[in-house]
Amino acid sequence: MVLKGLTWLVLLQIVGSLVSELLLPVLPGSVIGLLLLFGYLLLRGGVSEPLGQATSVLLQYLPLLFVVPAAGIMLASDALLADLPAILTALCLSLLVTVPLCGWMMQRLAIRVEQREEGRHE
Amino acid sequence: MSESSWRMVAQLVIDHPLFPVGLTLLAFQFALWLYRRSGWLVLQPVMVSMLLVVGALLACGMDYATYREGAAPIAFLLGPVTIALAVPLYNNIKRIRLLAWPVLLTVLVGGSLTVTLTLVIAYAMGAQLPVLASLSGKSVTMPIAMLAAEQLGGLASLAAVFVMLTGVIGTALGPWLLGVSNVTHPAARGLSYGINAHAIGTARALEEGSECGAFAALGMSLLGVISAVLLPFVAGWALSGL
Repeated sequence: MVLKGLTWLVLLQIVGSLVSELLLPVLPGSVIGLLLLFGYLLLRGGVSEPLGQATSVLLQYLPLLFVVPAAGIMLASDALLADLPAILTALCLSLLVTVPLCGWMMQRLAIRVEQREEGRHE
Repeated sequence: MSESSWRMVAQLVIDHPLFPVGLTLLAFQFALWLYRRSGWLVLQPVMVSMLLVVGALLACGMDYATYREGAAPIAFLLGPVTIALAVPLYNNIKRIRLLAWPVLLTVLVGGSLTVTLTLVIAYAMGAQLPVLASLSGKSVTMPIAMLAAEQLGGLASLAAVFVMLTGVIGTALGPWLLGVSNVTHPAARGLSYGINAHAIGTARALEEGSECGAFAALGMSLLGVISAVLLPFVAGWALSGL
C-alpha cells in the first residue's frame, strides 16, 4: 500500500520536473507536483488509502531528508565562512522580528474570522 | 591488530558505497535522540545532524560531492515527500478556506517584510560583505530553493547556503519566539514556520499537529509562488534605486 502511494508521488515528481523544465522554470518541480496533487485531490474529493498511508509514513521523515542538502554548507567559500558571524547575526535579527510578527498577525486575523463565523452559526 | 591494519579497516568502512547513507542515518538518529532526551527545541535535529555529518566528513577527508552522490538514495526522496504535503493541505481544506484572507494578508505582509529586512541588512553590510549584497536579489526569490533538487546539485551558491541557514535557524528559534509572543493558534504558528523557515519549518510544524503542518505548507508554497512571480520585478526596481 505504501509502495503504491510512493509510486504516485514519484510519478508526480517526474511530471512536475518536466513542467518546471519546459514551461515554468521559476517554480521547482516538487512544488509544481504538490500543486498538481492538491488539484487532483480537490477534483477527486478525497484521499485514497494508499496515498494517505504513504504520506503519513513519509512525512515523518521529512527532516531526515534535509540533512543531505544542508551538509552542502561544506561547499561554502572561505569568503562566506569569514563573514559567517555577520551573516548569522543578520539572519537571527530579521527572524527575531518576522517570526513573532507573522504569528501574531495571523492569530489576530484568524481569531476575528473564527468569531465572526461562530456568530453567524448562532 | 596493529595501527596500520586498524587504519585499513577504517578506510574500508569509509570507502563502502553505503557509508554516506549510514552516516546520515546514524547522525539523524543520534540528533533525534538528543532532541527528545534534552527537550531543548533549539537542538533542531536537522541542524545537529548537519553539524555531525560535516564534522565526520571533514574528519575522514571525504568531500561533499562524494558524500552527496553516496547519500543520493536519501536525497532523492525529498521531492516526492514534498509533494506529499498536498495531503495535509487537502485534509485541512475547510480551515484553509475559512482563513483564506488572513493567510493571504499575513503571507503578503510577512513575506515582503522578510524580503525588505534581508535586503536592508544585506545592504547595510554591503561594504564589508560584497558577497552578501550580490546575492540579495536571488536569495529571496527562492525561499523554496531548498526543495529545488535540481538547483541543489551544487549548494555552492551563496543564495542556497543563505536559504538553508534561514530554515535551520528559523526552526531552532521558532518555537521559542512564538512562545514568547504568545502565539498559540495552530494555524498562526504553522503559517509563521512556513513563511520564515520554509520546508524545515514545515517539518517542525508537522510535529505540532496536522493543522499546524498544513498551514506551514500553505505559507511556504504561497510565499514561493508569490515571490517567484512578483519578486523579480520588485527586486529589480529596489536594486536599481540603490
